[in-house]
Amino acid sequence: MRDKLLFGRCIDTGSPIHRLDPRAKITGMILYLIAIIAVGSWPMLLVTVVFSIVYMLATRIPLKYFVKAAKPLWVLMVFIFVVQSLTVESGEVVLQIGGWALYAGGLKSGFIAAARMALLVSFTAILTFTTTPGLLNQGLDGVLKPLQKIGIKTQRLTLMMSIALRFIPTILDETHKILKAQAARGADIKELPWKEKGKLLLSLLVPVTVSAFRRAEELVLSMESRGYIVGAPRSEYHLLTWQTKDTWFVLSYVLLVAVVLTYRFI
Amino acid sequence: MKDTVLAYELQQVSFAYHPQQQILDNINLRITAGSWVTLVGANGSGKSTLAKLLGGLLAANAGKIYVEGTEMNQESITHLRPRIGMVFQNPDNQFIGATVEEDIAFGLEGRCLPRDEMVERVKRYADKLEIGHLLSKHPAELSGGQKQRVAVAATLAMEPGIVIFDEASSMLDEKARGELQLIMREMSESGGYTIISITHDAEEILASDRAIVLKDGGVAADVSPLELFRNQELLSSCRLIAPFRVRLIQELSSRGIELDPGQDIEEVSEQLCRYISSK
Amino acid sequence: MSVHFEQVSFAYDDRSLWRHGALADVSLSITPGSFVGIAGITGSGKSTLLQHLNGILKPTAGRVKVLDFTIGAGDKGPLRELRRRVGLVFQFPEQQLFEDTVEKDLCFGPLNFGVPLEEAKDRASRALEMLGLDDSFLPRNPFHLSGGQMRKVAIASILTMEPDIIALDEPTATLDPQSRAELLQLLSRLQREEGKTVIVVTHRIEEMLPYAESWIVMKDGTPIFQGTPAELVREERHLSEAGLALPECIRLWNQLAIKLGLEQEEPCLSAEAIAERVAALYEHEVHPPTWGGGAGDAG
Repeated sequence: MRDKLLFGRCIDTGSPIHRLDPRAKITGMILYLIAIIAVGSWPMLLVTVVFSIVYMLATRIPLKYFVKAAKPLWVLMVFIFVVQSLTVESGEVVLQIGGWALYAGGLKSGFIAAARMALLVSFTAILTFTTTPGLLNQGLDGVLKPLQKIGIKTQRLTLMMSIALRFIPTILDETHKILKAQAARGADIKELPWKEKGKLLLSLLVPVTVSAFRRAEELVLSMESRGYIVGAPRSEYHLLTWQTKDTWFVLSYVLLVAVVLTYRFI
Repeated sequence: MKDTVLAYELQQVSFAYHPQQQILDNINLRITAGSWVTLVGANGSGKSTLAKLLGGLLAANAGKIYVEGTEMNQESITHLRPRIGMVFQNPDNQFIGATVEEDIAFGLEGRCLPRDEMVERVKRYADKLEIGHLLSKHPAELSGGQKQRVAVAATLAMEPGIVIFDEASSMLDEKARGELQLIMREMSESGGYTIISITHDAEEILASDRAIVLKDGGVAADVSPLELFRNQELLSSCRLIAPFRVRLIQELSSRGIELDPGQDIEEVSEQLCRYISSK
Repeated sequence: MSVHFEQVSFAYDDRSLWRHGALADVSLSITPGSFVGIAGITGSGKSTLLQHLNGILKPTAGRVKVLDFTIGAGDKGPLRELRRRVGLVFQFPEQQLFEDTVEKDLCFGPLNFGVPLEEAKDRASRALEMLGLDDSFLPRNPFHLSGGQMRKVAIASILTMEPDIIALDEPTATLDPQSRAELLQLLSRLQREEGKTVIVVTHRIEEMLPYAESWIVMKDGTPIFQGTPAELVREERHLSEAGLALPECIRLWNQLAIKLGLEQEEPCLSAEAIAERVAALYEHEVHPPTWGGGAGDAG
């Protein structure tokens, strides 16, 4: 279980990527998302894969962690692959069983769709792996700041996000502990039939919710006692300084997007 | 002679969540600045509620609370809050930042301190609590005792005059509990802090200057810690057990051997050895 | 032996990031029907050890023998019967209650193990009684009880499975001192009157001294001490070595023992016993009673 909690954890290796401005990283990830959506052919998939691996290596974090980050979504990826393969009818027929045919085009788009998903999840893990949640928060705050002009309270948004990031691992841990306690009382989720599994998970809702509320309540008291007032002006502990390397970092993503889009539409 | 400065003065304070169920009823208290006061009582005696009132996290339904001479109310609370720090029971649920330094800085950011001063204070208070080497750690990488030190550092960094410990040691292991008590002792000896602690821990109570016993929402006794531990009736009303040292002194006394409880068990042991070899 | 660990090692499968509390080459034995204290600081592996008792965790190397069951590395055998016979109470068990009445929560375990409803209800009321609560609690909502009562209900919910061994992870944490003492007395009664083997993980040694018949001290995933309370007192260095606080009564007794030559005596640890001994020493001449009696250092 703990293994699956890579989400939202910073792995400090002190690489150049770690030291980039979080705003640059967030902007990069948004651009990457655009590039990924636009990828639709083998050469461009290859370009994106190479681009991604270069950056992953630059973080000095073992590649297996990125693979692990995408792992929880494998069911979804298989699903996307199957659906795409079966619905796209173009190119040669690879396999024919009765009235049903599998096309080469279908396989291709299925594979690319699944690969895009895997790339997106594992690559965006760069952001959480190389940025402490606090910096991430502040970066997000910086990126969202323009929204304040149209009346959106971005401080609340980022506070909510940071608390969620902070407590998701704790709450998952707790759920795991309750599951163990249930197993000790003869209801081992691993051994139960599917219907019973569902029932058991449902029963966890009570203790997990009770505990999440208790935690939230205590956290609010603690924040209040340290003088926190929603929306009140605050100074910032981390100083974000945009440097030339951050510009280059973002430009490399702009280039990726440009290449992918040009190939697609020309 | 100058009047003693009061950290708190409570006049006929009452509190209830629902009108039919009074949690605190007509509390009158004066707490001298620089003293260390323990609030004790069984579950439901109202001690946690009282701590929240003192911390300005709840507002009294009736009566007045003066903090360092200023009446606590809607307007004054913003100015009074920086004077009052609180450390809570669960080390996890009061860790707001994502790292130790961010957590210590959290309150300072809210005070809009310039960055240089924040950095300086974070470092100074982290060093004071011996967590200077943990600044970049995530709470998941810290023990309960370390997290509780972070909470204390974050509180002290705000430079309050009053610090309320709300069962702050109860989830810690014995060693960390002892260490937290040492921190509290040092704070008290420095003379710079009024300490209010809510606790079941006998040693912590014994280290304080004064024990206020709450029962059914009222003050049942206001005594010295030793008086509390010598009064069986009071002890059972707040579900406490006297520390080993005090129980030993009493057992000895009932056998005609009179000793002084001293500061720690080593002092008792020396007295005992002297006593036996005196024969 | 009701519990026997043979060179058991355990590592959480995440290899580098948050490795903690793993076990390294643990060999130990626990006698049936005894009251055992396992002491250690956070991360010493004491909770991991406990979870091996009913197969919630399985050793990565070595073998765990519990009652008639043997669990080795990679074993996947049926654990249901083992789990019924070894009741495991996790830390803050009250946070694991989930039903809307005390009775339903108490019956959850036995029903899972195929006990008929009527019998499960009987057991529920008996378990409550063992923990000093009466039948009036059965229809109540567990979330409306006091913290101490919730804790007792949660422990009772394990007793309804009628286990032979009951293992608890810091059962007294955050309770008030009198509730702590009451709970330990109840556990001691379960051991003495019902013949259960009671295993308690703790870092508060002092409060368990009157009850535990043997002690295991854990450090970095390995037991560094196994023996009787008297041996634990004589070898107090193991406690400091494990990073544990030395209880005042042990400190006092050892200081008196050194200065007055009482090292060979059975240690007196309660306030009453020490006072009695001191009074006796003052009345009579100081003469160590078991000098050369053959007891010696059993450690």
